[in-house]
Amino acid sequence: MTNALFTLPGFAEGRLIGLLLLILLFALTINFMGQAKLPYIRRVPALDAIEDAVGRSTEMGKPVVCSFGIGGFDYWTVAGLSILGYVAKICAETDTRLIVPTGGGSETYITREAAVDLVRNAYTAAGRPETFNEEDMPFLSGEQYAYTPGYVGILVRERPGATIMTGSHYSEAMNIAEMANGVDSITITAGCYTSNMAALACASDYIMLGEEQPAAGAYLSRDPAQMASIRVQDIYKFIAIGTILLGLVVVNFGSDIINRLLST
Amino acid sequence: MSSFFRSRSVQMTILVVSFLLVFVPYFIPWGPLDWLSGKLMTIAAVTNAFTIVIAVYSQFRRSGRFINQRRKGWVYHIYLLALLAIMTLSGFILGQHGGAYEWLLLAVVTPLSSVIYGMLAFYMSSAGARAFRARSPQAALLLLAGFVVLLYQAPLTGAYFPGIEGAAVYLTDTFGMSVSRMFSISVSIGAIVLGVRMLTGKEVAFLGFGEGEE
Amino acid sequence: MADEGGIYKKMATYDKRWVYVVLFITTLGPLISPIGMPIGISAMTKNYYAELDTLQEGDIVFDTWNMEFSGYMELKPGVLATHKMFIEKGVKLCIAFGHYEGVALPGEIFKQLQTWLDRYDYTEGEDYIIIGYVFPNEAAVAALAQDFHANVRVDWKGESIEGTFLDEIQNAGDFDMISDYTTGLATTWMINHMVLQYGVPMVENSIGVSVPNHLANLDAGLLQALLASTRGGAELEFLISSPGPGLKAMDAFTLGHYSLIIFIIIGNIGHYGWARRSGARDRTGIK
Repeated sequence: MTNALFTLPGFAEGRLIGLLLLILLFALTINFMGQAKLPYIRRVPALDAIEDAVGRSTEMGKPVVCSFGIGGFDYWTVAGLSILGYVAKICAETDTRLIVPTGGGSETYITREAAVDLVRNAYTAAGRPETFNEEDMPFLSGEQYAYTPGYVGILVRERPGATIMTGSHYSEAMNIAEMANGVDSITITAGCYTSNMAALACASDYIMLGEEQPAAGAYLSRDPAQMASIRVQDIYKFIAIGTILLGLVVVNFGSDIINRLLST
Repeated sequence: MSSFFRSRSVQMTILVVSFLLVFVPYFIPWGPLDWLSGKLMTIAAVTNAFTIVIAVYSQFRRSGRFINQRRKGWVYHIYLLALLAIMTLSGFILGQHGGAYEWLLLAVVTPLSSVIYGMLAFYMSSAGARAFRARSPQAALLLLAGFVVLLYQAPLTGAYFPGIEGAAVYLTDTFGMSVSRMFSISVSIGAIVLGVRMLTGKEVAFLGFGEGEE
Repeated sequence: MADEGGIYKKMATYDKRWVYVVLFITTLGPLISPIGMPIGISAMTKNYYAELDTLQEGDIVFDTWNMEFSGYMELKPGVLATHKMFIEKGVKLCIAFGHYEGVALPGEIFKQLQTWLDRYDYTEGEDYIIIGYVFPNEAAVAALAQDFHANVRVDWKGESIEGTFLDEIQNAGDFDMISDYTTGLATTWMINHMVLQYGVPMVENSIGVSVPNHLANLDAGLLQALLASTRGGAELEFLISSPGPGLKAMDAFTLGHYSLIIFIIIGNIGHYGWARRSGARDRTGIK
């Protein structure tokens, strides 16, 4: 076990650096959220694919199926809801039927209400409140493996032109993506679960890997808080890269100073 | 009284105090604070469990509305409520060990969920067989790596060609693990940043508020 | 001249239902009529076996079943083989579930271990206690890790745990080992609140798709050993000389993998023979 460089009396051993990094993260996030100028985020390529897919569905007269995940109000669901809002806006403007299967987790009872409001507001903003149909947002189940056949049933019956799966999807995503492929639907997914990301990449036409999803959500929503989050995450990634490289160099010179610093 | 607890400022205060009660003892261990933190976590665990009751109540209300209004698929809601009642009552009245509840779990719920999980193997295979095409040099490299790992995963290969373990483990331990670590770091930071947004009141949807609501 | 494609086109564009049919046959066939193919033992399984071998009689292991029934189907060989080792060594088990479906698991698992339970006189209440579904969320894991008896006072049948071997457990640090079987439920929370906080050694039996994630934990020293899915369980069955469902499934495992490899090869031959050539014809106009 590597020893810490030093310890502070009354302070838990090995947690000081973690606290400092957390304080820095807090400070950076609050700073960026308060800035008038929004940080730059590049447009994620999958967003163009979403527009093309919805356009294809409109031309073919087929509906679009878009889901926002089976998790609670976590990092991925917030991004998924932003993308759902965007898809709802395009569907409202092009008069394309939008189906949003909800459920899959015990916390989806809460997130569903947010999604319904989001889609309703998108239709209202597009000037078509009468075309919003809450029955096109069925709550399938609070259980993952009961939600999956419900979702697949929707795909087989409705044969959508585009299937967009964002938010936090876990093992059921593979079932759904492959079935969407089977009904000749353009499949756009967002991988948040490392275990099935590779399989999703095989089954989907377009995939947003990992943080491309929250970046897409932030880009679409233009919410200062979400964009600040993406910027801070990028900064911390650079800090991590720098630390790793420095540690690599230092370890090769026979010193464990970086290890000891991180253990402080 | 309820309007007091439903106000945004009160909910945010509870959120911040709860956060500090768990956050501070992690860095500054102090007996009374540790005790309070433990109690809070126990309360949170119990409260969370009671949300099941709210979920069941919500489902009854929602299904009742569907049945009353004869909306699309209303018959399935009768089926759903009947099953919900049977499982709940059999568990409470007959007990969860032995009897109807355990039988329903073993004979109905578990095979159904096992089937959905088992189907994944077929879907992954067909997706892999379709996607693994050497369309470019990079795809060819990926295909080669995939072959090595797939061959290693077949137990027979390891029996006759033990050397393949080294290659497959190298691929998983370098490329596979580095990607996992990368995502772990990204997701962890993202979760913390989301927490900061919640604590500063920039993200209030989880409290049930829309934009601009108080 | 139109591109007929011929055999290459058929190879590149085969119906995926052939994959389903062949996979079904290659997995079902060996399960009905086992072939008995040899298997290799991986270094990871040998390490897992060695870790479990360090346990002594009377050690208390926190045995966490973070799996639904569907996940149990994949982890079954490892679960049974590991518990056989625990029973043989006389280790005390505190069994907790991470999913409500865990209620049905003890009946299934201990039914299959009945011979071992009888042979070593391993009884509930004395040698193992099931505390039930105690990990609904992260707060519960953290609370339990910090103060065990404040959060658990009775077992899953409502009987008091006072006066049992669990009296020695004040917090997670008092366990000699955590043995986790996971589809990914409470595992990360346990690593955060038990392993990182109290330094308890933890071994993991994980489903195949989660193995890359857990390899990072293994490499970082958060996990002491990792058993990978059905195959790891089969290897462990071999190491403890107690053949079970894992070894029975290995023929199907092998044939399933090989059939997938063959389909990939067929698809690539078809791709080069038809798709690439037709692309070249379209580009150059040469027929």
